[in-house]
Amino acid sequence: MSSFWQNVRRTFRLLTYNKVGFIGLLGVIFFILLSFVGPYVVPLDTQTKVDKIYQPPSSEFWLGTDSEGRDIFSQIVHGGKDVLVVAFLAGFISTTIAVLFGSLSALAGGWVDNAIMALADIVLTIPQFPLLAVLAGLVKFNNVTLLALILGVLSWPALTRAIRAQVLSLREREFVEAARALDLGTRHIILKEILPNMMSYIAINLIFAMTAAIYAQVGLVFLGLVPFSGSNWGVMLSLAWTRGAIFYKGSLWYIMAPVAAIALFQLSLVSFTRLLEEIFNPRLRTSV
Amino acid sequence: MKSATENVPSDGQFTLKVEDLWVTYLAERGKVKAVRGVSFTLRPGETLAFIGESGCGKTTLGLSLIRLLPSTAEVEKGHILYRRDTEVMDVLQMNDRELRQFRWKECAMIFQGAQNAFNPVLRIWAQVLDTARSHGVTNKKEIRQRMEDLFRLVQLEPERVLRAYPHQLSGGMRQRVLIALGLLLKPPLVILDEPTTALDILTQRSVIDVLRDIKEKMDFSLILISHDLSLAAELADRVATMYAGKLVEVANVWDTYYHPLHPYTVGLIHAVPTLAGEREELISIPGSPPDLIDPPKGCAFHPRCPYATEKCRTEEPPLIPVAQDHEVACWHWQQVQEDGGQRMMVYSEAKAG
Amino acid sequence: MTTTSLAQSTPSRRFDVLYWLRRLSRNFILRRVLMALAKIYVVITLTFFIVRLMPTNPIEAYVNELIDQYGFTYQEARDQAAALYGIDLEASLWTQYLEYMKNLLHGDLGTSYRSKGTPVAKMIAKFLPWTLFSVGVSLLISFTLGMLLGMIMAYRRGSVLDHVLTTIASIFSSIPNYLVGMMILVFLGVQWKIFPITKMRGAMSPGMKPELSWAFIKDIFYHATMPILTYVLTTIGGWMLAMKSNTINTLGEDYVTVAKARGLKESRIITSYVGRNASLPLFTQLAISIGFIVGGSALIEFIFVYQGVGQLLLNSINYRDYPVMQGVFLVITIAVILANFLAEFVYGWLDPRIRVQ
Repeated sequence: MSSFWQNVRRTFRLLTYNKVGFIGLLGVIFFILLSFVGPYVVPLDTQTKVDKIYQPPSSEFWLGTDSEGRDIFSQIVHGGKDVLVVAFLAGFISTTIAVLFGSLSALAGGWVDNAIMALADIVLTIPQFPLLAVLAGLVKFNNVTLLALILGVLSWPALTRAIRAQVLSLREREFVEAARALDLGTRHIILKEILPNMMSYIAINLIFAMTAAIYAQVGLVFLGLVPFSGSNWGVMLSLAWTRGAIFYKGSLWYIMAPVAAIALFQLSLVSFTRLLEEIFNPRLRTSV
Repeated sequence: MKSATENVPSDGQFTLKVEDLWVTYLAERGKVKAVRGVSFTLRPGETLAFIGESGCGKTTLGLSLIRLLPSTAEVEKGHILYRRDTEVMDVLQMNDRELRQFRWKECAMIFQGAQNAFNPVLRIWAQVLDTARSHGVTNKKEIRQRMEDLFRLVQLEPERVLRAYPHQLSGGMRQRVLIALGLLLKPPLVILDEPTTALDILTQRSVIDVLRDIKEKMDFSLILISHDLSLAAELADRVATMYAGKLVEVANVWDTYYHPLHPYTVGLIHAVPTLAGEREELISIPGSPPDLIDPPKGCAFHPRCPYATEKCRTEEPPLIPVAQDHEVACWHWQQVQEDGGQRMMVYSEAKAG
Repeated sequence: MTTTSLAQSTPSRRFDVLYWLRRLSRNFILRRVLMALAKIYVVITLTFFIVRLMPTNPIEAYVNELIDQYGFTYQEARDQAAALYGIDLEASLWTQYLEYMKNLLHGDLGTSYRSKGTPVAKMIAKFLPWTLFSVGVSLLISFTLGMLLGMIMAYRRGSVLDHVLTTIASIFSSIPNYLVGMMILVFLGVQWKIFPITKMRGAMSPGMKPELSWAFIKDIFYHATMPILTYVLTTIGGWMLAMKSNTINTLGEDYVTVAKARGLKESRIITSYVGRNASLPLFTQLAISIGFIVGGSALIEFIFVYQGVGQLLLNSINYRDYPVMQGVFLVITIAVILANFLAEFVYGWLDPRIRVQ
């Protein structure tokens, strides 16, 4: 029993070592709970109430009301799920591709290496957002998975390069040498030797891929290039914008609520990476 | 110059006189006492070598002479008196401008392993110009002439080297460039900190030859900091042995190598594989270097010393003159003199197995 | 066998050619030029095939639109489409590709079909300068100011100033730039009325003639204020933090200590020894930053109603004006490649270790 509590205490101390990072972690947890548990607690307000347009925050409407008198808070609660899902899926896809390509490139060498690096170079060169916008003009990304897939497929090169470099340096080290001497095969080397040693790298890059996905996704939805409907922070932003919500004092909450939600979630993610850095890389701990 | 200049009686001639210098570093465990009350006098034109194991404080001492200690270090007390003609200044009292002028123009410090001593993005010529201009020398032709002479002196091709970027030169070449650059402003005082470490044997040899050569041809005082005793033997007039941040023996080079009176010096000399000798392995002094955060009471060397008695454990021996040009800080120097350091040598060899 | 005899028959010539090829391949500038050209070629080719092979091929979409909305016959619609895209639709994909490349080489990007008959190149020429101007000025400000502040933070590390700047830098660089833009509009523009946002719209005031006069320069800076502010705010943090850590690393380098020992003036050490070396790695990040800012210009220019190439791209997508869309995308990409090339060139110029073997 006491050892359990000791463990809990030790974990907690590790998590709170970096204050900014810990606040980031709390923020991430908050937004996950808000978006996935929140909708079961707070029903989505869809009823137009002409007498309640652009109400300021009150005990009834925590974040005020929109141009049709609907509760903004309920929209924020319901609007996070898609954003988070797309971000996580895109991050996951991009990280997976990067890990595969990066280790393959480093371990195979030769023309495979050259081809993957050339491809990475090209994808990295093409400005992402215009490419996404043009693609959105040609194909309709009308579902969450397709959008996540496209975002993921376009954002792997940076991490791939980093992983390749890491694998190249890792594989010179003894334990990988030993694994090779035992002829354990490439898959074993990647899964058992290299991946565990690069967890910090991968975790931090997963989060940065997520922030990039949120940037692109909300941007596309905001510009109306991705015809999402329903409640989504990007859609809220887009609607508030087209209804001219920026121009009136009363509509401040309508436009600022999704802005704040997205900005705070991004901030939480980025701050969280600091904590990850410290947990995975204890050498940094003394420096802050 | 109110505080920085003092009138000093013209008894003993000196270029540099260090009095009771204390330097500490701030570490997590506490204060590291790197230099503990060092005093010495450097005479004009002489070469004084500081020897000792790594971590004995000799590099810290060197850095404090031109006040280039890292920000975690602090000079707790002491004086560093530098004399030029009739004027005497305390380096520790200089203001920023005086200090900047003192560095390189009065005292050039040539660092250990100059692999990374040059700005990688500037040509050597630009860095030469930087150095000269900072000290008010602006005649390009004159600088170039002088630098070419110096490069020839250190056996470098002036044209090629001046045009080169640092990464285009080998380690030995860079070391010689730094030595030549050190002499550009004809400083009366040069500090050489481990000038040959990180160089291969052949390059070491040529750097040593160059150093001997310039020392003969030019007039300056030299402080040589080295753990390489053969280098000290070749270049020095006098040798100061450092242990745990203190000077334990100061003597002329002959006495240091043939009649050392401090057991530590005996061990150190004994540990050197003679260049011509057939003994390959290096017999080191048993025990480990002292903890400078909490140095041993009494004589800091007593835990490793076969001569140690109760007195050594409680009372710290002062550095006292025992002969012409010979000072030693040991309660039992007479015993060492009598047995020729035999006990220390036997002790070392026995422990080395 | 044959190669050996050949080599033996003309040994000196063969050796010469190889020698020169090797020397050329080691030439820093030439290599970068070739790389940039190769990238541009690949991007052009990719764009061509993506547009042709997409499920909703823009040309077919246009043909169908003409038939449905304007009652064209299929043949007429196809002729019209062919004329617009400057390609012969009957020809094989390969011939079309060659034709397209040939037109591009002549600077012909086809004609818009929303603004009937206007050459795409001409439209881009009208919009592109504003993006280059606003993005270029922002990059210059944020890069130089960021480096400066980063160095100050490194020299004063641990101070209140350092903590405040670090916090601000981290916050602004994690929030998407278009959200920062919106906050500027809402708070500085509408709520606190510091910026007259309707007056500041557009790239310049109506009736203003592009000329080299103080009034004109003032006007275009006035109109670009909010986009520039947004770009600078969201990118400066990255430069500051990177410069801070590079400076701290550089300060620990031997050559800085030696420079102090050489008695160099502090100002000289800060600029040529610390600053120059610490800033070198930033130039490699510059390439990525340029792509990101130019890429995001569509959003920023939309928010501030600024007539740059991003706005043009957005309009062309909304109107399904495929020739314009394709042209703008190509030009943006090529601009980014050229900017990368320039950044690498400057980097090579600043770091002799890359330039000289």
